[in-house]
Amino acid sequence: MLELKNLRFEAPAGDAGKDAPPLRMIINDISFTFEAGGFYAITGPNGSGKTTIAKLIMGINELTAGKIIFDGQDISQMTINERSRAGIVYGFQNPARFKGTTFRDLLSIAAGTDDENKLVKIIARVGICSLDFLDKPVDSKLSGGEIKKIELATVIARNPRVAIYDEPDTGIDLWTIGPMVELLKKEQKEHNTTTIVVSHNKAFLEVADTLLLLKDGRIAYSGNLEGAMPMLEDLSLCTFSDVCEGEGNVRCYR
Amino acid sequence: MLDAIDKTVLKEVADLEGLPKGAYNIRKNGQLLGREVSANINIEANEKGDGIVVDIKPGTVDESVHIPVILSQAGLHDVVYNTFIIGENADVTIVAGCGIHCGSDESEGHSGIHEFRIKSGARVKYVEKHVAIGEGTGKRTLNPTTKVFMEENASAEMELTQLGGVDEAKRYNEAKIGAGSVLLITERVMTEGEQKADSKNEIELSGTGSKANIVSRSVLKGDSRQDFYVNLTARAKCYGHIECDAIIMDNGNNQTIPALRALHPDAELTHEASIGKIANDQLMKLMSLGLAYDEAVNKIIQGFLK
Repeated sequence: MLELKNLRFEAPAGDAGKDAPPLRMIINDISFTFEAGGFYAITGPNGSGKTTIAKLIMGINELTAGKIIFDGQDISQMTINERSRAGIVYGFQNPARFKGTTFRDLLSIAAGTDDENKLVKIIARVGICSLDFLDKPVDSKLSGGEIKKIELATVIARNPRVAIYDEPDTGIDLWTIGPMVELLKKEQKEHNTTTIVVSHNKAFLEVADTLLLLKDGRIAYSGNLEGAMPMLEDLSLCTFSDVCEGEGNVRCYR
Repeated sequence: MLDAIDKTVLKEVADLEGLPKGAYNIRKNGQLLGREVSANINIEANEKGDGIVVDIKPGTVDESVHIPVILSQAGLHDVVYNTFIIGENADVTIVAGCGIHCGSDESEGHSGIHEFRIKSGARVKYVEKHVAIGEGTGKRTLNPTTKVFMEENASAEMELTQLGGVDEAKRYNEAKIGAGSVLLITERVMTEGEQKADSKNEIELSGTGSKANIVSRSVLKGDSRQDFYVNLTARAKCYGHIECDAIIMDNGNNQTIPALRALHPDAELTHEASIGKIANDQLMKLMSLGLAYDEAVNKIIQGFLK
């Protein structure tokens, strides 16, 4: 349904020094097919390319090479809004903060209607987002958790065919993570939404049908959580495995 | 009688369909077009004959006054001095505004001075909108001045808006805020083409426990220019905040100069200011909700100036 074919993404290396290559490979030849209605979790260490993959699918980052095929159509050259209209929506890791624009404004754009009843229905469907939020400006006064709930609601309001959530639990209180996981599962089941969650949180990894473990811009593993556990445990212990000379050694970088 | 131009202008500046309810004073091309007073709100010409005095009785609650100005006569530069006396514990809304309809190549302009004497415990909401429309090429000038004197425990909320059409605007706001009183000013200005807008503000927090919040939102299109100055002076234990943001769309030019002066050791004054293009993450978000680039820009500007 959503097929990534040999995706590559390079970005300027920044302050890597004058002898370093000018470009750094962020995504290095990733191919994968997301099936319709599946629940996928993308995990991996910081800087492994998780957010970049999500942004490449949404069209926020431009591909260096490769193709993205959605329902048999090559969408690699489509703009963000064309992809959105085709049914792909991305919930940002760090949602934009506006001045003056309210949650109602965003929700109306997402839902394509400003009908009060319809907006209230969407909020009820999302559940974790209070009705009081509706006329709040989506600005820097919102807490990290509040803005993530709003972000999630705007994604659901579009009735996406593919919903990508980038670390949806950041800033969310411990007691809301359970309901949030249930909400995404419910959306997946009731609307057959292909759901992709970028997360480190075990709560999301446990409910995913398939888990993708990224490392250094490649898929290091795809499959169920059980199969990923040895690698995850390894990662959780140490991310310097390439240069490791053994635990307890003086050249342990942990 | 209101003609078609009058009706269009009234709709633009005061959101009125025809004549307003309650007290009003409509001025057209330097003359009185219509006036209505109420039991609690009196309106009469001032002694010098260069404006009106709006006198609101103490305790008047939930009433409004509309005082729009229509300018449609080529070559006219109207100057007016209006005084508003808001009695103790009154709670009223004043809707002012000036609409220029320019139909020729001759310039037209309005310089309105509005003086507010807000008595103890009174609350006032002041809404002022400036627009200029019409096919003419004459220069449209609006130079508004507001002077606000607040006694104790009063509250004033002022919304000052100028959204396009005005070639040159020089605004001057002055306020003196007494003990326990609160002043909120929100200024929204959009300029385009070669337009220029200049806003100078002298705000003085003079009483213990007084508060002021000055918000400026500017949008600059084309080659337009906007300058915004605020001097916020504290002479007592008080709280003051300035927030000014400007979005430059094309080749505009903006200066934003917020100044804080604490002349009392317990004054708390803060400011934040920003000038820049529309933030990329805002555009990305709206495009990810299905809006094309231009639609996203419009939505962001609409929200910013709302």
